Amino acid sequence: MNQVQSIPPVAAVEMADATRSFGDFTALRDASLRVEQGTILGIIGPSGAGKTTCVRLMTGGLAPTAGTVRVLGDDPQHFTRRTRERLGYMPQQFNLYPDLSARENVSFMASLYGLLWLKRRSRVRKALEVVDLWDVRGRRAGQLSGGMQRRVELASALVHDPVILFLDEPTAGIDPLLRARIWEELHRRRDAGATLIVTTQYVNEAEECDQVALIAEGRLVAMAPPEELRRRAIGGQAIEVETEAPFDPSALADLPEVLGVRPIGVTTFLATVDDAGSAMPVVVESVAAHGGAVESAREYRPSFDDVFATLLEQAESSAPPITDAA
Amino acid sequence: MTLLQSLSRILAFVGKEFTETLRRPGAVLSLVLGPLLIMVLFGISFYGYPPPFRTVIVVPPNSGLPTTTDAYSKLSPDVDVVGVVNDAAAAREQLRLRTIDLVIIAPPDLAAQFLAGKQSVLDAEVNISDPIAAANAGYIANILSGEVNERVVEEAVRQGMQTVVAKTGQQPTDVPPNVIAAPTRTHLTNVAAVQPAVVSYFGPAMLAFVLQHLAVSLVALSVIRERGSGSFELFRVLPVSAAEVVMGKVIAFAVICAIVGAITTVGLVAGLGVPMLGDPVLLAVALGLVIAASLGIGVIIAVVSDSERQAVQLSLLVLLAAVFFSGFALNLDLFQPLARPFTYILPATHGIALAHDLMLYGWTNAPWHFAALFGMAVGLIAIGSLMLSRQIARS
Repeated sequence: MNQVQSIPPVAAVEMADATRSFGDFTALRDASLRVEQGTILGIIGPSGAGKTTCVRLMTGGLAPTAGTVRVLGDDPQHFTRRTRERLGYMPQQFNLYPDLSARENVSFMASLYGLLWLKRRSRVRKALEVVDLWDVRGRRAGQLSGGMQRRVELASALVHDPVILFLDEPTAGIDPLLRARIWEELHRRRDAGATLIVTTQYVNEAEECDQVALIAEGRLVAMAPPEELRRRAIGGQAIEVETEAPFDPSALADLPEVLGVRPIGVTTFLATVDDAGSAMPVVVESVAAHGGAVESAREYRPSFDDVFATLLEQAESSAPPITDAA
Repeated sequence: MTLLQSLSRILAFVGKEFTETLRRPGAVLSLVLGPLLIMVLFGISFYGYPPPFRTVIVVPPNSGLPTTTDAYSKLSPDVDVVGVVNDAAAAREQLRLRTIDLVIIAPPDLAAQFLAGKQSVLDAEVNISDPIAAANAGYIANILSGEVNERVVEEAVRQGMQTVVAKTGQQPTDVPPNVIAAPTRTHLTNVAAVQPAVVSYFGPAMLAFVLQHLAVSLVALSVIRERGSGSFELFRVLPVSAAEVVMGKVIAFAVICAIVGAITTVGLVAGLGVPMLGDPVLLAVALGLVIAASLGIGVIIAVVSDSERQAVQLSLLVLLAAVFFSGFALNLDLFQPLARPFTYILPATHGIALAHDLMLYGWTNAPWHFAALFGMAVGLIAIGSLMLSRQIARS
């Protein structure tokens, strides 16, 4: 399970101005991105934003109307069987075979991925153990809960140790504890050299990704590591300062370390800085110098809900998408 | 390795279909017992011959003809004389109300017309919408006419001979009047190896008919459920080809249908006494080819159907076509010569012909059916596979 197949020295995924239209409706417009091997790309966006279209362009399920897509150097529309064996795919709307047991479902998928009998037995067991379903391996899929069924589907995508994994909302309907375990397994695979393309409806799962692509209304609004997206959303890093008495922070705006200040209450304000670690002592001293007394000061880390809301607002107000094909 | 992997994928589908089928006990029971049960019920309930026509004979007053039903009781086995009346209007009213099937109106002056050297008309009236029954009624009317003619001639000869004897005291001929009236009788000899009962005759046809429907519907529903479950999107990405999907399903359902066919055949032969005069291996080959060709049709139906409901409807249309055009219910010789070749589009048409020949005659005088079925099986499965491949690519 730990051994990932050899990786050619090319980008795992490369999209250049990829557009996909369905008649008059454009599901994805001019998306350009590059995903290096051994990284986790999280594709995040509101429902109907174009996340699944993006994944299906990468898997070859859809052909781009314009632009190009390359996965492991190949055009997904003309994947060879060898390339397909190196992919793992968990679509959003695949239903298991309800009359087959959990193990039989995973074993069936393992066979389709080309695993022969001897290897298949051990891989199926490991995959089911990863998703914590080995104990219910004999239960028919139709009798499993929705979350369990999703985990069986995940095990089916993982069973052959793919070089690149496309997971369309793998954690949907799964409880937080197990979600954490699944992300642990995804990180382990990333560390072993696999590339993972994951769409998720849980915005906070962006933290688990190396790169996050934010898609809204068919446009790639931003793509960067999670921390970088935070910086973009708030214009740098932020320090949240609480003072003992009401304090006017506008005087701090003149400090060279401070990029901007914003009161969020009579005794609380946010100072935007380039580097919170080095700027924090300067800010605290400056508050004291201007007659204030600091009750507390800490780095402010906005939730990804806020980050994405801000980035979407920014995108709406500026036409060109903020893309950083790292 | 690639070949092994390909085999492994095909076997994965075979195993999956087997497991899914076996895990539905109701489906297994209906698959195995259904055809046999239908044959048993058919055997118990089917009489095989149409009931005699409920007939009223109208005998005009002073016609000289008998007026009791007993006098006509042995007229023909196809006629059940339920009354003799002298009022044609009353008989026609019964016919309109469909309480009787046939009215025969005797001529009022049969003897006088005969003696005058004129032909009389025996009116037969029916009220039947079924064209086959109506044709049968015409046939029966002709037989009745022959019977009446024979009796009239016989009676005339008898009277003539009595007149001659009375006048001359000599018998004009030693030939009896009934022989003069009907010099010949038909004696039919059937040289067929077996003369099965009606149920036994329909048994082989039923076998091919049921197997075609089973194969078509099983594979069509399986493929369409696969598509509905989102599997096609997955297959589009997985290293599995449409040919492997089709082969896996075809093999699985071919084996399932073959098991059903074998059990049904044994049941027909051992349980219902259907003759098995030919080589069972040849019969197995014939039915195997029927199954394979039908599976090809099933795959095509699944591809062209946009829902499970439509697939069921199309499968039933194929079944309906087989009822009329396969020779199961209607003899193919009853069709227009130009239309007959089209009946061979159905695998069941070939299967029924071969099953009849092999089971009831012991051999076939039309071995081309094997070649036709083989061609259909290969062609239809290939076409189905190509169509499915395109559909998966578009999914």
